[in-house]
Amino acid sequence: MIEIGDLRFSYDEGDFLLEIPQLKVADGETVAIVGPSGSGKTTLLNLIAGIATPRSGQVTTNGYKISELQDAARRDFRIANIGLVFQEFELLEYLNVLDNILLPYRINRTLQLDKSVRVRAEDIAERVGIGDKLARYANQLSHGEKQRVAVIRALLVQPPLLLADEPTGNLDPLNKDRVLDILLQYATDNAATLITVTHDHDILHRFQRVIDFKDFYAYGAEQRPENVAGPM
Amino acid sequence: MRDVLYLAWRYLVYHRLKTAILVTSIMLIIYLPIGLNVVVEQSAEHLTARAEATPLLVGAKGSPLELALNSLYFSSEHPELIDYSEATMVADSGLADAIPLYVRFRSRTHPIVGTSLDYFSFRNLSFASGRPMAVLGECVVGATVAESLGVQPGDAIISSSETVFDLASVYPLKMKVSGILQRAFTPDDEAIFVDVKTAWIIEGLGHGHQDLARPEAVSGVLSRSEDNIVANASVVQFNEITEDNVDSFHFHGDLADYPLTAVLAVPRDDKSGVILRGRYTDAGATSQIIRPVTVIDELLDTILTIQQFIVAAVIIVGLATIATAALVFMLSLRLRRREIDTMLKIGGSRPRVAAMLLAEVFIVVILSSTLAAAMTLVTWRYGPSVIESFVLA
Amino acid sequence: MSVNLLKIFACVLAVAACTQDEPASEDTEAMQGPPRVYTVNYPLAYFAERIAGDSVKVVFPAPAEVDPATWSPAAEIIADYQRADLVLLNGAGYADWIQRATLSQSRLVDTSAALADRLIPVVDSVTHSHGPGGDHSHQRTAFTTWLDMTFAIGQARAVFDALVRLRPENETDFRERLTELEKDLGELDRRLKVVAERIGDQPLVFSHPVYQYLVSGYGLNGRSVHWEPHETPGNDQWRELSNALASHAAAWMIWEDEPLAETENRLEAIGIRSLVFRPCGNRPAEGSLVSVMLDNVMALEQAFPASAL
Repeated sequence: MIEIGDLRFSYDEGDFLLEIPQLKVADGETVAIVGPSGSGKTTLLNLIAGIATPRSGQVTTNGYKISELQDAARRDFRIANIGLVFQEFELLEYLNVLDNILLPYRINRTLQLDKSVRVRAEDIAERVGIGDKLARYANQLSHGEKQRVAVIRALLVQPPLLLADEPTGNLDPLNKDRVLDILLQYATDNAATLITVTHDHDILHRFQRVIDFKDFYAYGAEQRPENVAGPM
Repeated sequence: MRDVLYLAWRYLVYHRLKTAILVTSIMLIIYLPIGLNVVVEQSAEHLTARAEATPLLVGAKGSPLELALNSLYFSSEHPELIDYSEATMVADSGLADAIPLYVRFRSRTHPIVGTSLDYFSFRNLSFASGRPMAVLGECVVGATVAESLGVQPGDAIISSSETVFDLASVYPLKMKVSGILQRAFTPDDEAIFVDVKTAWIIEGLGHGHQDLARPEAVSGVLSRSEDNIVANASVVQFNEITEDNVDSFHFHGDLADYPLTAVLAVPRDDKSGVILRGRYTDAGATSQIIRPVTVIDELLDTILTIQQFIVAAVIIVGLATIATAALVFMLSLRLRRREIDTMLKIGGSRPRVAAMLLAEVFIVVILSSTLAAAMTLVTWRYGPSVIESFVLA
Repeated sequence: MSVNLLKIFACVLAVAACTQDEPASEDTEAMQGPPRVYTVNYPLAYFAERIAGDSVKVVFPAPAEVDPATWSPAAEIIADYQRADLVLLNGAGYADWIQRATLSQSRLVDTSAALADRLIPVVDSVTHSHGPGGDHSHQRTAFTTWLDMTFAIGQARAVFDALVRLRPENETDFRERLTELEKDLGELDRRLKVVAERIGDQPLVFSHPVYQYLVSGYGLNGRSVHWEPHETPGNDQWRELSNALASHAAAWMIWEDEPLAETENRLEAIGIRSLVFRPCGNRPAEGSLVSVMLDNVMALEQAFPASAL
């Protein structure tokens, strides 16, 4: 499902460098990525999602050479095929819960908002326990509720791939489990691929694979460690 | 498009205070020059129509504008007074018909216009009910007066004292409404019309009292000679003219010396008008004759100049406001960087996200324009009467 | 805009639904027809009728039993005067109600205006003033002007001028009629002069101070008392007469109307005979102004026959 080969990524400024010779994630696999801060974990998610493009090498997501697509094409692909969940929830303060959930359908014409989508949204919200809060605004929700809203937003398009960047980083233990349950249950039910960046080693046991990012150190070229091949 | 507008709308509603301020500011920039133009144009139209319908006015030397405003619009500031003999002179000249005007007193806020019967035919005023005043003490009211005071023919209206402390001379007279005029959409709707002699009675120049020759009036007699009875101040004077006492009302002195504020002269033809105007060009004359059209045109020129200055100021302020609004928008974009990034990250298309942000501006402009249009409509409907009340107050 | 139109429409509807008050007057017929000429007394109405005939509608609305000089018409009657095309005034202060009425100045004609220098002030009127040096009322003038036939002719000419301004197309016809009227009034004048000559300076008493123009116009020697023909004079009035007779030994009292028999007899008992000279300010029960004046002249001629001198 996801293949990365000879990838090399750096920013225009600074000496951050990410080099990934090879990485594969199978369909339906649940993967946790751990590693030190600044090692490029979020950057990897961005590259997989097509938010960023490498200097060289390729990223293939769901059969699409996403690294070679134009910006508009990458967006169209992303909004329909990839669900993104962020550590800081990233809800829009001026939209209520339902409108936040339906947001992807309003910001790209690839998706059509119709009654079936609304019904699905309300249904999912009900199942995750926020069905009675659809009219509320983000500042009226707890952290756990906010993250559940963000997760539903990601799941609503029924993407084959979920990318979650520290989804439980701002949650208490109860909500942490709740959110993870939703993500993992979705992956299981839909044979979807889930890649999660996390600092929380307590949840690693719930994933099928763990990738330690110290294998893909982002050093300057002269500081590359000897063993750079990732676990397969 | 619907989704874009929806998101933009929700943003504006959530930040309603900011939206309200922006909409109001832009609305004002749009409305002020337009509204001002509507008011000025309509007022000019009203003022000009009224002035054009009034060929000539004779009054005391002084401010032509004050004479015109008092005679045409019954403003509360009245010019210096002239004698009734001026009206007689105009009539006797054979050059014009003379309609006397004595616009000095009020009943609450409504001007009392002392004039003659000819005023109604001159102004093409017809009656909605009742009839013209026939005897002293009767009055005819304009449509607006009838509505605001809730009077019908047969009801009474009382004149007001000229000043609060002037209790000794101009005393309230109770007048009977004999008729109500049809609405004319002119200042005549706001006026109470009386015979000029009734106005003189209000002033105290004419009065009715007990017959001093009768025994009942003995307490009011100061002294008595063979051919004259001198009354003292205790003699009862009537402040209401009724069928029973109307015959006792009289005027002392020569009516030719009695006061008017103006004479409305209606020339027989243009040539007569020119000749009549020529008679007032003598530098030693104590009275003047004016063409209201000329006076009002000068007033309108002044108003137009002021309007132009105001519009220029509004444009400058408007540009500043637009620049400020643009700055607010740009700062707002900066503050919304994260929100925009989120939408882009989850796959929002750049054109759509940009359209959403621009839609906010679009909606604000549409709302402002709509409000400005509504305000213009209200101004068109009520503006001139508000302006006239300021001018005439 | 639509709100404004609605209001105008509503006003039009409201006005159309209104019924105007009908003034209680005798002249409520349609406004069409010949011009309407109103007068303040019968003599002027007579002159207008004689001069204009049917080409105008002459109206003198005072009731038959009132003295038009002191009549005070109701407001509704004044409203009729307002609607007239021409209002003929006697002048000389006749019909004081004019001062308190609102009439269109352009339609008023003072038939005595050109004869102002011949107006007679009332020498015994009582004025009043307010305070020692305050406003005062002026002396009045006598107003039964038509009793001097030359004055009446002057008034008739003023009526003619006003009617010609109203109906200029009828001037020729009006002038012919005026000439006829002047002839009749002129004949009365001639006969009055003749009988006045016969009367000379014989003292006469007039029952009421309304004969000033007869006295002045024909050189009569008269004094007035204040007696009503249909009322019995009181003792004060007899005393007033007696005092007057002391310096003015009249043998005749001239009455406005037939006196009571009792009064007439009592006068005769003190050597005063009565004759009637009707001023005819109001419309007579029979006849016309000229016929009434003719009767008046004949009464004088009978009282002072040529052969009596």
